[in-house]
Amino acid sequence: MSTMLSHAEQAPGGGVLRTSVGIAGRSVRTIVRLPSAFFPSVLMPIFQAIAFSGTYFAITLIPGFPTDRSMNWFLPLACLMGSGFAGVGLGLTTIRDLESGFFDRLRMAPTPRLSLLLGPLLSCWFRVIILVTVVLGVGLAFGGRLTDGVLGLFTVYVAALGIATMGAGWALGLAYRFGDMRAAALMQLTLFNALFLTNAQTPLNVMTGWLHSIARVNPITNVLRLARQGFLGEVTWHDSWGGLVAILVLGGLTLLFAQTGLRRLNQR
Amino acid sequence: MSSSAAPIIAQGLVRHFGSGDGAIRAVDGVDLSVAEGEIFGFLGPNGAGKSTTVRMLTTLLTPTAGSARVAGFDVVTQANDVRRSIGVALQDAAIDPLMSGRELLNLQAVLYGINPASVKARADELLERVGLTEAAERRVGTYSGGMRRRLDLALSLIHQPTVLFLDEPTTGLDPMSRITLWEEVRRLNREGTTVLLTTQYLEEADQLADRVAIIDHGLIVRQGTPAELKAGIGAPTLIIAVAAHVSQTAAAVLAPFGEMRPTAEGTLGVGLAGGSKAVAEVVRALDEAGIELHHLELHEPSLDDVFAEATGHRLEGAGDAGPKTEDDAAPKPEKGRRKRR
Amino acid sequence: MNLATSPLASPAATTHSRLTQTWAMSKRSIFAIARQPALVVPSLIFPLFFAALGASAFNKATALPGFPRVDSFLDFALAGNIVQGVLFGSVTGGTALATDIELGFFDRLLASPTSRVSILLGRLAGAAAFGGFQALFFTLALMPFGVSIAAGPVGLLVVVLSGATIATAFGGFTAAMALKTGSSEAVQGSFPLLFIALFFSSAFFPRETMRGNYRTIADVNPVSHLVEGMRGLVVEGLTAANVAKALLVPAAIGAVSITLALRTLSSRLASR
Repeated sequence: MSTMLSHAEQAPGGGVLRTSVGIAGRSVRTIVRLPSAFFPSVLMPIFQAIAFSGTYFAITLIPGFPTDRSMNWFLPLACLMGSGFAGVGLGLTTIRDLESGFFDRLRMAPTPRLSLLLGPLLSCWFRVIILVTVVLGVGLAFGGRLTDGVLGLFTVYVAALGIATMGAGWALGLAYRFGDMRAAALMQLTLFNALFLTNAQTPLNVMTGWLHSIARVNPITNVLRLARQGFLGEVTWHDSWGGLVAILVLGGLTLLFAQTGLRRLNQR
Repeated sequence: MSSSAAPIIAQGLVRHFGSGDGAIRAVDGVDLSVAEGEIFGFLGPNGAGKSTTVRMLTTLLTPTAGSARVAGFDVVTQANDVRRSIGVALQDAAIDPLMSGRELLNLQAVLYGINPASVKARADELLERVGLTEAAERRVGTYSGGMRRRLDLALSLIHQPTVLFLDEPTTGLDPMSRITLWEEVRRLNREGTTVLLTTQYLEEADQLADRVAIIDHGLIVRQGTPAELKAGIGAPTLIIAVAAHVSQTAAAVLAPFGEMRPTAEGTLGVGLAGGSKAVAEVVRALDEAGIELHHLELHEPSLDDVFAEATGHRLEGAGDAGPKTEDDAAPKPEKGRRKRR
Repeated sequence: MNLATSPLASPAATTHSRLTQTWAMSKRSIFAIARQPALVVPSLIFPLFFAALGASAFNKATALPGFPRVDSFLDFALAGNIVQGVLFGSVTGGTALATDIELGFFDRLLASPTSRVSILLGRLAGAAAFGGFQALFFTLALMPFGVSIAAGPVGLLVVVLSGATIATAFGGFTAAMALKTGSSEAVQGSFPLLFIALFFSSAFFPRETMRGNYRTIADVNPVSHLVEGMRGLVVEGLTAANVAKALLVPAAIGAVSITLALRTLSSRLASR
């Protein structure tokens, strides 16, 4: 070789943070280079916020409804839906990387295996922050009103990042196990069900029947409650802790699902 | 490397997919040893087990049984040490079409922990080496197949590995690009890199490899230098074509001259124990039997003959000197089954 | 015997062969749908899921001012769910046509003596059959949960016919898109547009409860009117106005879309 790398030039394999940021950077670059792939993920929650709040405008008149603005009720839902599907989107791009062989390149590098999860997750969080900021901006322009200032905004972001993490962990775990686009429908359907079998459309005290029984025990109901606080009243620990626990537990479980799937790639 | 042991050692390497009666035995007990500074060729048709073996040696796949050490480290228990020491260019030049060549090299440098201060110089050097300096800032999606392979090679060299794995490096390339890549492999080897390359092209193995292992159905059937393997066949092969209704008679006429060998459909082949000077006698014998010759040719032994003699079928024609497209080389994954062999 | 005097040249024979060809194309279209459950499940299961969700979430909404008088939210929701399923299914038909074009099967059809109109009408007939089936399927599936059609069996028949007509109408648009672009991906891209058309209407909630610009859009959206025609048959009963809305609105849309599809087919043939 014309130049030999000296010990001063070589590090013993990239550290977790540096390699995670490097991997995340690739995905962030894609947003700029292929914006047509990113726009739908922002437009869809904007549409949902406007369509739901317009169609179901009158449900705020139902006795016991916690707000008189339909946008206040549906805007946090739209943010969480967008974030959840951003997590699923990560699963889809990972499937493409698996099919093209690019993922093999990452696996053959002497990086800690943690960076193969953390890197994509960082890029997902970055996307979610942009997405939620835009959607909130549009929602506030279309009639939404904050009821507890910046703290209310903060809870939306926390809930959104939590849902994105769950969506990402679940989608990555499926991507590693299936390795192809058959997993896509499963990712999307399960996320949709998880988000809608909750107090997504109406509060628990307004809904009746089978949905009430499921929504009461669905942990995502708590995450929605966490997100909606800043649009329904004050942010309180009482309405926050359930969502935070759900995020930690479900986030942890889905990331574990992803990690075990990653290890099983060595068997395929 | 942790010791002066051979850079690549595999003992009884096995990889099965699935279980029970339906299990696919992609690699069924491979032993090999690649000496330092050697170019080792792994030759076999599609589905023989080449890529599966390489995936095990490069830590992508866990062996079902057996063991392997690369650069002195165990591929299972010391996987990260193996990864630090090897460069790999797999069958598909797996690169992100939205990134530029330089960005990919930068990412690779990050993954391998190259000191940030030396990344640019290293990338410049490698781009120059593989002739991609002009195209460095362009997106890889605009590169030709040959350019992608060269970039893939550059990526595999970023951390100056002592062992290089090349999985079918010239599949799908035009002849000029193939020759360019061969030159680069030879140059790397002269500089001290040990190379293991898999191929289904006889000429590639013949031209490049110091030693060749022929693999079929997951097992190594022959191993040695190309010259040794061809000499082991010994006799040249005489191939004739006659009318179908006299082919059995013709086979009987040929039989005393040596061992019958498998040849293309519509022809007969015999290994001439008496060497090429026996050709005249064969022609005379056929003439005396009233058999009209439509075609006659004499083949000195090739690696394809070695393969045919070892396995009973030919390598050339099995994939017709390689897949038509890169899609053929890598069958699409099915659930629960391996992606490539 | 030359072509002019051949029995094949007679108008009766030409019409007969056109009908036979249309029937053959229709059968192919129907079987193609039946053989792809993965495509069919979203246009059958999804609307039912939405109906079930709505029944639980919005039952108390039926007491809101402006809400039509219904026994349950499902009575209100049935028409919207049928239209939702039919619209999603129409994308399937257009995608199948685009796939035929991509794979070259369409060219093979054109090279045969099959009349060009039969190719298109056969495709739309398949869509109509599936749309009618969806209307019947959703009604029967929700009946055990208390849904009943106030207009009786005749009303159910009109609902089924309406489903078939809506499927034909929107199938014409997706067919036109398929013929214009020759790309199944482009046709699938129309899915969000249909989704928007569905939401900015009275498919899921009464127009009377909406406000502002949203209400204005729903008022002029033809989807609102064809849903309300069908809904009237379910909730109010068999009236001329309900029958007219349920059948004439989609028929009018269909006249436009089929004309568009035929024009697109002609220009595609002319450019070959």
